Amino acid sequence: MSIAAINEKLLRSIGVGVALVRASDLCFLFHNDPFAKWFGVPEKGQSLSTVIGDLEESGIRAVVEDGTPFNGEVQVKLKRRTLVIAVTLSRAREGKHTLLVVECQNITRIRELEGMIDCYSTMVERNTRALEREKERVERLLLNLMPRSVYEEFKTFGVVTPQLYENVSVVMLDSVDFTEFAARTDPTVTLGELNDIFTAFDRITEQYGCERIKTIGDAYLAVSGMPDPAVDHATAVAHCAVRFIRYLERRNQSHPHKWRARIGLGTGAAVGSVVGIQKYVYDVFGPSVNMAARLQVLAEPMGIVAPEEMTFDLVDEFRVGDYGTEDVKGLGEMKLITVSGNLHQAKRF
Amino acid sequence: MAGTLYEKYGGFKTVSRIVMDFYEEALDSDAIGDFFADVDMPRLIDHQTKFIASLMGGPASFSDERLAIVHRHLGIKHSDFDEVARILAATLAEHGMDPNDIGEVLAAVESKRSLIVEADTE
Repeated sequence: MSIAAINEKLLRSIGVGVALVRASDLCFLFHNDPFAKWFGVPEKGQSLSTVIGDLEESGIRAVVEDGTPFNGEVQVKLKRRTLVIAVTLSRAREGKHTLLVVECQNITRIRELEGMIDCYSTMVERNTRALEREKERVERLLLNLMPRSVYEEFKTFGVVTPQLYENVSVVMLDSVDFTEFAARTDPTVTLGELNDIFTAFDRITEQYGCERIKTIGDAYLAVSGMPDPAVDHATAVAHCAVRFIRYLERRNQSHPHKWRARIGLGTGAAVGSVVGIQKYVYDVFGPSVNMAARLQVLAEPMGIVAPEEMTFDLVDEFRVGDYGTEDVKGLGEMKLITVSGNLHQAKRF
Repeated sequence: MAGTLYEKYGGFKTVSRIVMDFYEEALDSDAIGDFFADVDMPRLIDHQTKFIASLMGGPASFSDERLAIVHRHLGIKHSDFDEVARILAATLAEHGMDPNDIGEVLAAVESKRSLIVEADTE
């Protein structure tokens, strides 16, 4: 078998559609089976652009005239399938004749797979977005339960190590006669009132860099100096306390329900940690917390009581009065002070 | 998605092959191929990928409304529906799916029959 015969056999048997056309009139000299399968058998005298309909004339001209190779894509309907065929035209010389080599590859499967990948990535991206949104929602929820730095630790390590903070101050507020108020009021009204008041308190604590730890019924507990240390933790909680009282006074002027509260301040050490495994609660424990809780009971309605040791920190910004000595449960004999807003600041509001 | 057939059979890796085979078979079928003949290819692939992934509990959701809308006015008969189910079952079996799991997928397909088959045709 001659080389030419082998070449022809090869051209006939490969899966790529191949045809040769004369450059002068674009008439077919040769085509193999795959070509005929996709485009039909070219009839005598039929030109390239009639056999393959969608080829750009300018592209063909460029190959004929300048020998610039042409790449294009055409669609062929074969039974129910639409095939995508990539067509390459290149110029070749055979003796005196100039020929165009038409090379056709069936890229339908590639297009189908691309379609499938597109479809799948859209689905996956949509799911990813949904998961992101869900994650943000969970994060927001958890951030309501614990301070951000604690949440970060929790997220990274899965646990929160109880941490001792040496210098923190605590503000604890409790309503006067709440039990009695709750008994004679519709629970939804009570809840609405508490929600309203605690939301305002949250804004105040946030303003002074304090962290609200929890509310227990009508009691409200916030700290300063943890989880992030604060040098002015004592004044921060005192500011909160004064603002709480001022807020209630102003609110009472325009609301039918008159709220009165006692506030205790505490200072010292506290431990903060997440309590529980399934039901996370970030909570604080320690002498400073006990102190605030005990002193709160001793306060007059709408009054603030603090330990004497806070005097030094508070005296510049608040009016500090002498409360006397009390035997405080669990803490022993304590010298106490009363705290209220100073005149200068009171005028500002 | 843990525990779904989609996970069990290797996720998109398997689903993509099932989709390609199902697509080929469906187009080749003389009974139902014509329904797909004039749908453009990317849309058909998209449709079938979502269809098969969702049947297997994968990350695609095909709302009943959407199913009903895309099949409305096609005049699909019960016999056409049965043919699709048959092709699907055969394709799944070829990919080594457990007969019980095929049953589960077919039950999922069956539950959509009323959305796909035109109510007034036999």
